[in-house]
Amino acid sequence: MKRNYLILTLHLILCVLLSGCWSKKELTDLAIISAMGLDLNDKGEYVSTLQVINPSNVAGGLQGGGGSKGPPVTVYTATGSNIIEVNQVASTKLPRRRYYAHTNLLVIGEELARKEGIDNILDAFERNPEFRMTAVIIIAQGAKASDLLKVMTPVDKIPANKIIKNLKFTEEQWGEFFTINLQNAIKDLTTTGKSTVITGFSVSGSPEQGKKLENIQDSDPETTIGATGLGIFKEGKLINWFEGKTARGTGWILHKVKNTGISFSWMDKEDAVVYQIIREQTNSIPKIKKGKPHITIEVKAEGNIMELRMPADLMDPLVLLKMEKEIEKTIKDELLLAVEEAKKNKTDIFGFGEAFHQSYPKDWEKLKEGWHDVHFPELAVDVKVDAYIRRTGLRNNANELQ
Amino acid sequence: MPSFFKLSQRKKLRSKVKKQKEDPMKVDELTEPIYPLLEDQLSFIKRKTGNSADVVVRKASFDEKLGIKTAVVYVEGISNSQSINEFLIQSIIMNRELHRKSPEKDPFDILKEEIVALGDVKIHLDWDGVFQSLMSGETIVLVDGCSKALSASTRGGEQRSIEEPGSQVTVRGPRDGFTESIGTNISLVRRRIQNPNLWVETMKIGTVTKTDVSLVYIKGIAKEDIVNEVRSRLKRIEIDSILESGYIEQLIEDESFTTFPTFYYTERPDIVAGNLLEGRVSIMVNGTPFALIAPTVFIQFFQSVEDYYSRAYLATSLRFLRILIFFISIIAPASYIAGTTFHQEMIPTQLLIAIAAQRETVPFPAFVEALIMEVAFEILREAGVRMPRAVGSAISIVGALVIGQAAVQAGIVSPAMVIIVAITAIANFATPSFAVAISARIIRFLFMVVAATFGFYGIILGILVLAIHLTSLRSFGVPYFAPLAPLVPSGLGDSVVRTPMWALKKRPSLIANKQNQTRMGKNQHPRPNKSRGMVPRHPQEDQE
Repeated sequence: MKRNYLILTLHLILCVLLSGCWSKKELTDLAIISAMGLDLNDKGEYVSTLQVINPSNVAGGLQGGGGSKGPPVTVYTATGSNIIEVNQVASTKLPRRRYYAHTNLLVIGEELARKEGIDNILDAFERNPEFRMTAVIIIAQGAKASDLLKVMTPVDKIPANKIIKNLKFTEEQWGEFFTINLQNAIKDLTTTGKSTVITGFSVSGSPEQGKKLENIQDSDPETTIGATGLGIFKEGKLINWFEGKTARGTGWILHKVKNTGISFSWMDKEDAVVYQIIREQTNSIPKIKKGKPHITIEVKAEGNIMELRMPADLMDPLVLLKMEKEIEKTIKDELLLAVEEAKKNKTDIFGFGEAFHQSYPKDWEKLKEGWHDVHFPELAVDVKVDAYIRRTGLRNNANELQ
Repeated sequence: MPSFFKLSQRKKLRSKVKKQKEDPMKVDELTEPIYPLLEDQLSFIKRKTGNSADVVVRKASFDEKLGIKTAVVYVEGISNSQSINEFLIQSIIMNRELHRKSPEKDPFDILKEEIVALGDVKIHLDWDGVFQSLMSGETIVLVDGCSKALSASTRGGEQRSIEEPGSQVTVRGPRDGFTESIGTNISLVRRRIQNPNLWVETMKIGTVTKTDVSLVYIKGIAKEDIVNEVRSRLKRIEIDSILESGYIEQLIEDESFTTFPTFYYTERPDIVAGNLLEGRVSIMVNGTPFALIAPTVFIQFFQSVEDYYSRAYLATSLRFLRILIFFISIIAPASYIAGTTFHQEMIPTQLLIAIAAQRETVPFPAFVEALIMEVAFEILREAGVRMPRAVGSAISIVGALVIGQAAVQAGIVSPAMVIIVAITAIANFATPSFAVAISARIIRFLFMVVAATFGFYGIILGILVLAIHLTSLRSFGVPYFAPLAPLVPSGLGDSVVRTPMWALKKRPSLIANKQNQTRMGKNQHPRPNKSRGMVPRHPQEDQE
């Protein structure tokens, strides 16, 4: 019995000693990559940009001692003929082990997105166990991904965090641009009946100035980055940008709008009343009528009147009903505008094809061939909007009426 | 090789036997009958006690006419000198003429029946009994020409008075605690359980110390098998001394290869009473305020007496908290090591950056850092416990400066690690049972090693091994993890949760006597008057 215990203890000790510290990685040996960018250079090679966090410059507190600090992130670039190679080449410059588990942002340069498309490059990210599928993907609009990732940002010191939060809150409050993560993008790319849309960020101001730490020491930074367009893809390649009402219309149909404000004309004055959405529901209902595909988009919106620039008697229910009609018309126009634009680009970014695939699998077999080029541009689209005014803010009537 | 070991063992045995023979404490002499002459008796006592100064011999004349002398022998300090003077010496001197009046009577009968005015009186025929009585504080009366000795119970002397126990403090509950005197301790329990079925079996254990050890239980509620087992294990003990109940605990426990206690020990009479009423057995030892309670289950160490005095909801949530505390005190540093060296992906980005920034200047791997801090803290704590009171404040200053600030400022440890050590320490202090807290301290280091080797995988493996070990333990045959494993549904009401008092209908079924498990009547749920009114709602109603 005692001998057994001895042998058991020896085994346990050996377990610990022989394995050593298996796959141990000390924090001080990790280069925590916050964002990764991909570009195409003149020779047609990939250029990867790694935005590495300098922890001691980000977290203030005891040790750093405040005062003048280094930049919160450092950017490394490398070239290679494929994604894995390009990242491994980066190790020739990095002092630490590349660590992708906290990479929450992937930036694709516009040139790469247009010329080569994104469907071939995402495979490497999907295979890597360290890389997160929940990382946000964006396109550098009219810029190189490396330029975008080099810009220093105020408030949120890590540029990647700035972009992710920027996108998250603009989606919640405006609805024109929205977060697409790797998982969504890959799902859309592999679906025949739906094309990908990815938000584009652009650099305003000089990229050279943006690199410098002085950029964030100014109350009005010279170089900033912001969401500027919605990239429309066809067969994995970027073909066009949607902006303004077209982009928000796309957001409506994709059910991404949460809290946006809609302005409509009242008594012939343009944009006189602002209606703020508090709740919204969009459904795309496919129907085959006489052998032809037909889509009905049903929108239900609830909201409040938040601004009134013309006198209107809000105590009168009939006025409110009339306003609701106006709102419905405004929303409908926005949606139809987006649909028209998408038809012109011959790419079904709304997933109407997928709706047919699910509801009419047999008819879809016929529609599948040339859906984006033939059937989608000819698709009959109906829009039904129900808008409700729930409250009118803390005031009833505008000052003029009292 | 094995034969070599056997040989050497045999040699050891032989030498032991020889040593015993040379032992100056001759047992044979003590079994001899008492010598008839008083001078011989007294000189024997003096020789046996080495002429110790605290053994007092008082000679007096018993029958002046016949010239019979008597002697009173007692040990100063452990006996009550007042009762010796008043009820023995005074009474012997006053009643000198009794023997003269009826010389045919045995002087010891006269002593016993007419002279000694004390409660417990025994007649001894051999020296063994005489010395045992003498050394336990009783007074010996010897009469010239008689081969007998009389012992009268005069135990007493200086004692610590009943104070509030320092080791288990409660906000609500009785304030009395055990003392070093076993008699006081038993009386404190008996005051709570005023029932003839509270049985106390006393035996002397320790060949040299002859310590009083009492086995206390409630006949009819305690399981007969368990009482017999405890008794037989106590009888088996052959040791020179019992100085604390810990000696007994280590000699009769079921499994000695464990850091976890299989006995509950307490200074509080209300805890002993409560456990006796659940069918448990208590072992009390003279000379220590700590009473042992057996059989013990693991979950008991997460229960406090106050749980039963406060309302069920509070008690239940506090028990959850204590279990959480136990886990924190075991795996907090291990989780820090695993998180920062193996599973950085599990830590939220912002937190990871904050930790990484702190670790940037630390020259050690996380495991070494944690080890340094934990060992430093253990040293500090040990110093705090053992140092004289007067130096205590110096330690806290040095500790706070060294561990808290200087180490961080020197960049040797990260502030996050200091927080982890602090949380672990506080969690460890908050564990209600010191015995479990102290074993958690040891286990914590093992967990740190496995965490540094396998990460969270190792921690999970460690928890599994710990669970297997805990479920394999027994306390007097009762599974240590009962009522959770094996699952005893009726016992769950007083385990991790504490159901309201009216729902605790049964005693623990694995511990209490099978025939006597119900502890309360039916319908004990409080049912106030439906009208809600012992007080009338309107004053007019009252007038009518």
